Amino acid sequence: MAESLPPMSGHVTKPTVHNEAYFDEPERRRPPITVVGPVAWVRSNLFGSTLDTMLTVVGSLFLLFTALTLLQWSVGAANWYAIIFNMRLFLVGRVETFLDLRLSLLALYIALVVGVNLAAWSIVRARVWQLWLAGLVSLFVIPWLIEASIALPPTYLGAGQREIVSGSVTTRPLERVAFIGRSGEEVVFTLAEFASEEELARLSSFTDVVTNTLRNAARNRLLEQERRATIEERLAGQRLTERQRAELEVEWAESELPPPIRETHQVSAAPVAVSVRASWNDEVLASGLIGSGDALRFTLPQDGWYMLEKHIPVQDESIGLLAVAGVYPIFDRSFIRDGERVNQYVRATDRLLIEGGRPREADGGDMLMLGIIDHQYKGLRGIDEYLRVMVAPFLQQINRSLAAFSAFIALGYFGAAWLKQREERFVQTVRRAAVWLWLALIPLAFILIIGVGESGPIQASDPQLWGGLLLTLLLTTVGIVVAFPIGIAMALGRRSSLPAIRIASTLYIELVRGVPLITLLFMSTLMVPFVVPSLSGPDSAPYRIMIALILFSAAYLAEIVRGGLQGLPPGQEEAGKAVGLPAWRITLHITLPQALRAVIPALVGQFISLYKDTSLVAIAGLIDLTGVATGIAGQTEFQALRRETYFYIFIIYFIFSFVMSLVSRRVEASGAGAVRRE
Amino acid sequence: MLEGISAKADSAVEDTLREDTEPIIICREVNKWFGDFHVLRDVSVEVAPREVVVVIGPSGSGKSTFIRCINRLEEHQEGQIIVDGMELGHDIRNISAIRQEIGMVFQQFNLFPHLTALQNITLAPSIVRHRPRAEAKEIAMQLLERVGIPEQANKYSGQLSGGQQQRVAIARALAMEPKIMLFDEPTSALDPEMIKEVLDVMKELARSGMTMLVVTHEMGFAREVADRVLFFDHGRIVEQGTPEYFFEQAQHPRTKLFLSQIL
Repeated sequence: MAESLPPMSGHVTKPTVHNEAYFDEPERRRPPITVVGPVAWVRSNLFGSTLDTMLTVVGSLFLLFTALTLLQWSVGAANWYAIIFNMRLFLVGRVETFLDLRLSLLALYIALVVGVNLAAWSIVRARVWQLWLAGLVSLFVIPWLIEASIALPPTYLGAGQREIVSGSVTTRPLERVAFIGRSGEEVVFTLAEFASEEELARLSSFTDVVTNTLRNAARNRLLEQERRATIEERLAGQRLTERQRAELEVEWAESELPPPIRETHQVSAAPVAVSVRASWNDEVLASGLIGSGDALRFTLPQDGWYMLEKHIPVQDESIGLLAVAGVYPIFDRSFIRDGERVNQYVRATDRLLIEGGRPREADGGDMLMLGIIDHQYKGLRGIDEYLRVMVAPFLQQINRSLAAFSAFIALGYFGAAWLKQREERFVQTVRRAAVWLWLALIPLAFILIIGVGESGPIQASDPQLWGGLLLTLLLTTVGIVVAFPIGIAMALGRRSSLPAIRIASTLYIELVRGVPLITLLFMSTLMVPFVVPSLSGPDSAPYRIMIALILFSAAYLAEIVRGGLQGLPPGQEEAGKAVGLPAWRITLHITLPQALRAVIPALVGQFISLYKDTSLVAIAGLIDLTGVATGIAGQTEFQALRRETYFYIFIIYFIFSFVMSLVSRRVEASGAGAVRRE
Repeated sequence: MLEGISAKADSAVEDTLREDTEPIIICREVNKWFGDFHVLRDVSVEVAPREVVVVIGPSGSGKSTFIRCINRLEEHQEGQIIVDGMELGHDIRNISAIRQEIGMVFQQFNLFPHLTALQNITLAPSIVRHRPRAEAKEIAMQLLERVGIPEQANKYSGQLSGGQQQRVAIARALAMEPKIMLFDEPTSALDPEMIKEVLDVMKELARSGMTMLVVTHEMGFAREVADRVLFFDHGRIVEQGTPEYFFEQAQHPRTKLFLSQIL
């Protein structure tokens, strides 16, 4: 060895670079496509063995089946009114209306910060922006296209004096209903005629209760007919035991075919008298007797309320079904604005909004309106009506907020990117700003959500009213942000050489981890007022729950962080000691950053599970996202729409979890993490 | 206690110590146990400023433990260790202050993987010495220049070869401007090709007058650079002397056996 060392001349010679390719490296050849191409991927990953093949086939069939069922339901049958109608409830619960503006500001600020952060860490490729922009434009273009190309289905309204009974439902056509319309819109009344029972049973459109009851009755009759046919067929068959035959005969005898609905109810047999009046001056705008083949058309003079009267003038037993184009169901919402109750009415199909002015009956009572509750879309839709009736209004409802949100993301992004490009040293400035903007969110959110004082632009809000997604995110964020430092302190405490600290930390961690979260939630509801009397009122319920969530997640975070610290090689701490750093500096600058980076997946897992666990607070009396869904599903109007309601929160929960894990993967791969992945 | 030291070895020691007055490291009768295992037995040694002492010996002989005791990564249990006039004991308050005077280079480099090469070097000076960012960075760049890899400044340790990592580790230790440098088998984890680049740096350092205590198996390095060689076995210093004496005229049978196996 000694001989190989060259003589030294004061300074060290620059060593040769090792990773340079040898000049005599043999020629490179691409591997064949069956080795690295898509074919190889499919072969080795999907059809590698018999088991693999079976799993692939069974798995993809199952996925296909599930997806198709879901799609069929979503397109054909699902009524998303429960979502569109309750959007505000889902988002913010029952908070006071003065919070709306403040919460929008907060959301836009968050968008801005997200934009700045995206730019600061340069994690967005140009293609993503193009896709996003295209998506955003399509949010505006698609509803417009749909409305231009697909006509709205008519609304079916019953008229007549006859009571209709179907199962437990007894109903009678309304004589008067109110609707809203826009200036210049054409309304067309015709008599709906059905060639057969089947046609009535298949009816799918906006229907009032009468029409829907008739439709259901027709459908039940057809089903019963089918069942009887099956029994007859089986009875005609030879291979039946005595007992089976006897049973079938009983079933046959017990079954009862309802009379043909169309005929017994004399559907659309007699002409219907219709008149429409303007609500502001009672002037009759149009009236007429609509018989078979007749059509009554007229144009609305202005935006506002109209009253529709419909009845069958002769005394008979018939039910007239009107097919009306231009009159559609309305959402009705009511809230307090500046101390006054405000009623807003929104047309389901195009979000035409009329505030107040709802007409009254002659006796002063509320006039019934074409409310969405009684005039929903019923029946199995085709894809065109799905787009026209569900997709277009939904997109119109969200596109403006999404556009505003995206605009602020873009503002933050391009602002920061421009700064970064101007000068090299601004890169660090922008990154520091990105972090500070997040930190500034804490006081900002505090002021905007909680507020101060009795009145004024930032007047205090009532914590009891916080709900929906707002509450879910609030609990999650507080649970993460506050619990994180506590968790780190506990992790360090558990590794401390001071027995008092170590035992206290260990005791805390084990105690909390040994109890289910729900128990902790109840405990804190009961125990916190005991310890902190000022948190005993009903309006501090969210704070008591927050304390429980913080205590809970701190214990789990502590164990995760401790795992990270445990996993570090001891050489790191020694190296820190050897350069003369005091112990706390070693922890702060050397061990903790490495430990945290190593446990990012577990940390984010904990954050996500905290986010999902907030759904438990509904049991402790808070109305979070799950609470709102349960509440909505419990209302009579929306009982039939439970599936849609829960499916919606399923999607919302998923979107936020997914964003969290996406961000975590980015963080993992940043800085020194990028090196370790190579 | 110091077995097998000949008259000639004694004079060699005196020779190197002559130019300086006070020894910078003084160990007297140092003993240490890991549980029941007696790692260091009555180790007494003095190191003069600017002296390069190479510690060799079979594995498990206590040589690493010995130099780790000098910056108190290990605590000795009997005897005295005095570094730069300060005694290391249980009641020592500012151990960090003493460690700032002693640089250490580890077998496994122990670079901080979450920091770039440059940040590895500037971390301690900017925290402990309160050096302004720009100044710390400038000094760090000079050090990287000195160890021959200024172009790697912004890479993470995961992107560097073993030899480059070890040179960054040396630069990191030098950034604190220590009076003493300890090397704990600095080349043992390196490929043969990379050993040379690290040894070159160490030789340059020795030539510049740094006090060095080096645990190594590189006999070539010991022969060329060392002022004195200590041979450890079973926690004792079995024999010591100048490289010339040690490699050619060692007296103790254990030393002879060791040398016969590795040379």
